[in-house]
Amino acid sequence: MMGHLETDMADAVRTAPATVASVRDLKVHFAAKRGVVHAVDGVSFDIRDGETLGLVGETGCGKSVTGRSFLRLLPVPPGILAGGSVTFRPHALCEDCDGAGCDACGCTGRKAVVCPSCRGQGCATCDGTGAETIDLLKIDTETLRKLRGDRVAMIFQDPGKALNPTLTIGQQVAEVFLQHRTDELIELAGLSPETGGALRRFARQDHRFGDGILLSLPPFRGQRRRIQAALDKMVARALAETQVPNPASLMDRYPHELSGGMRQRVMIAQALACNPDLLIADEPTTALDVTVEARILELIRDLQMRRRSSVLYISHDLSLVRRICDRVAVMYAGRVVEIGPTAEVFRNPRHPYTRGLLAAVPTADTPRGGLAAIKGTVPELVDPPAACRFAGRCRHETEACRRFDPTLEPVSETHAVACFIDHPAPEGDQPSFERITE
Amino acid sequence: MQLRDYIIRRLIILPFLIIGVSIIVFSLTRIGGSPIGIYLSHEMTPDEVAQIEARFHLDKSLPVQYFYWARGVLQGDFGWSGVSVAPVSEVFPKKLAATMELSVAAGFVAVTLGVWLGTFSGARRNKPADHVTRIVAVSGASMPNFWFAIILLIVFWAELGWAPIGRATADLYAMVPQRTGLYTIDSLLAGNLAAFADALWHLILPAITLGYGATAIIARMMRSSLVEELQQDYVDAARAKGLAERLVLKKHARRNALIPTVTVIGLTFGFLLQGTVAIEIIFRWPGLGKWMADSVLRGDQATLMTYVLFTSVLFLFVNLIVDIVYANLDRRVELGK
Ligand SMILES: Nc1ncnc2c1ncn2[C@@H]1O[C@H](COP(=O)(O)OP(=O)(O)OP(=O)(O)O)[C@@H](O)[C@H]1O
Ligand code: SF4
Ligand SMILES: [Mg+2]
Ligand SMILES: [Zn+2]
Ligand SMILES: [Zn+2]
Repeated sequence: MMGHLETDMADAVRTAPATVASVRDLKVHFAAKRGVVHAVDGVSFDIRDGETLGLVGETGCGKSVTGRSFLRLLPVPPGILAGGSVTFRPHALCEDCDGAGCDACGCTGRKAVVCPSCRGQGCATCDGTGAETIDLLKIDTETLRKLRGDRVAMIFQDPGKALNPTLTIGQQVAEVFLQHRTDELIELAGLSPETGGALRRFARQDHRFGDGILLSLPPFRGQRRRIQAALDKMVARALAETQVPNPASLMDRYPHELSGGMRQRVMIAQALACNPDLLIADEPTTALDVTVEARILELIRDLQMRRRSSVLYISHDLSLVRRICDRVAVMYAGRVVEIGPTAEVFRNPRHPYTRGLLAAVPTADTPRGGLAAIKGTVPELVDPPAACRFAGRCRHETEACRRFDPTLEPVSETHAVACFIDHPAPEGDQPSFERITE
Repeated sequence: MQLRDYIIRRLIILPFLIIGVSIIVFSLTRIGGSPIGIYLSHEMTPDEVAQIEARFHLDKSLPVQYFYWARGVLQGDFGWSGVSVAPVSEVFPKKLAATMELSVAAGFVAVTLGVWLGTFSGARRNKPADHVTRIVAVSGASMPNFWFAIILLIVFWAELGWAPIGRATADLYAMVPQRTGLYTIDSLLAGNLAAFADALWHLILPAITLGYGATAIIARMMRSSLVEELQQDYVDAARAKGLAERLVLKKHARRNALIPTVTVIGLTFGFLLQGTVAIEIIFRWPGLGKWMADSVLRGDQATLMTYVLFTSVLFLFVNLIVDIVYANLDRRVELGK
């Protein structure tokens, strides 16, 4: 009877929409002298299991703020979480196939954790999906801390700045394991799972006064060495995954001794060390040479495919997004103005801004990262009026665009746009691609 | 360059620096006139004065005088202290011990309290706790320490009678054998807890007074560099790895914020030594500072030169130590550049 119920539960999870994270009406504001900056102002999108979602847009449009919201890495104050939610569905290793990939887990090797309040039946807390759903903006800091770096990881734009200059590579990568893999560490060291006290604290990066002395005495000294050796092994393994030459010798080096590409590999190793369900990559190649960029992209893609992690790939480089993303969300002035499968958005862009971007992109001699082929500049995000954010730069705008604020509406099953060209304006002149007002 | 090679190189240069310093000390002191005054009395005849001049080579040219002085110094003969009516070399160690005890205690107060306050303040940037700490720090850095000393003395000694003055209660300390000249250490070595408590009791107020200014400077430096470090990407990266805020502060930001603070700590050491002069006079602490003030007033050049030479050499060593600590904290430092 019980077993039957459990199978049902598992079924409910299996058939649930495979969405690892959903952003709903996210609003992040910043208190500034000139007023409240609406850096992110009502952003909604889903990230599906195993997909790479590209987030593109001009500088200052709110991409990084959106990405950092997933880990609540925003300076508050001046930042204000003004509303909305970022929900996340943690996954665990599929016990049917032990990570190898089977039908039950859709070949991903991992399955969503069952919702604890409805046990998979579907309830309000889990949006009827039956999968545990966590609002990353609301959970307490300790729960969030446990997810950070373990289930949700992040790679930063400039690896030169994102590594601590005074700690070795080994020490920095090791921290991920110390925070999230204490039990494995103790097991790998051949110690009893009941190991406690100073030794466990050592394996948890939790140093207490006197521990240093205690752990330098036998028999703890030998055991501490074993934990350290196990830790080194895990770090070397994580580094080896990113195809760095000679990972063991890399561990004793300091960040300034490495090239930019090497440092980003270290960041990637660190981010993927715990096999996260979701990776936020905030322009991970912008600070690198073009040749290095290609190799880093390949590496991220390769590791992601193998682990079936989902990736939110933030970039302002459309050609790059086209190469590596399954779907793409185009941001403009704190809003998502268009979202859909990459191929479709590139073939049939529906938003005038997206069209402008695409017209500006592919030539080899346009400066890398430059999107500014559209006339005009991004509007001030201080207390924006109820109007289309793109009005003022749009070739097709009408009176209606200046009076009403278009919302993101579907144009096909997979593709949505926020523009009155595809959706009727509440009143007034309907803009269209045929009509160009200059 | 290897750290060891660097240290060796610095140590080789050191004697030359010391010779340079000694020439400067000697010349500057001589600008103040002949040192003969302190050896003279009204009853002496010009003949007797000339005799004394000849005895101390004061009738020779300045370079020759320097040579005699430097030779004496190298042989451990620093001259005669007119103020103490004893050879300088005999009095100096006792005075030095008194000052060391005071400034080490003050330095200890300043470094622990300063680093702690700066961290506390910087981690709570722009919150009420930060503002309070900053007010305390600013007043500490801007208030003349003799003034602060007098205030404390009025309150704790004159009014409340809680704090003693001087260095120790004489009859308590008379039973303690002097090994190091540091009363706290000596009484501990002798196992005399009453004397130890007494020595500590005498030490606390002057140490706090002397350390306050330096505490403020260290705290301010620590705060501003911590605030700067906390804005770095690597701090967010550490958070993104799942480190608790406490660990982010302890393992990442604070350690890096200490790097610029170490330089300031080295500099405040000089601040402390200068401060001892006023503090020792006010608290009647029988150390170098008070000795040196008396010597200035009475024109006791032998004592004065010894003091200045000693502090200069001390500074050279402190600088070297700061550089080494700095290089150890920050691996990016290119030694010898
Ligand atoms: N710490 C902050 N304090 C104040 N305002 C901020 C802060 N961080 C971001 N903002 C505001 O949020 C807006 C969006 O910033 P965000 O970093 O998300 O842009 P972005 O799309 O990532 O741009 P880029 O391509 O340059 O990285 C900025 O225009 C800025 O006004
Ligand atoms: S709503 Fe109007 S202004 Fe906005 S993008 Fe569409 S046509 Fe242009
Ligand atoms: Mg950004
Ligand atoms: Zn499976
Ligand atoms: Zn549920």
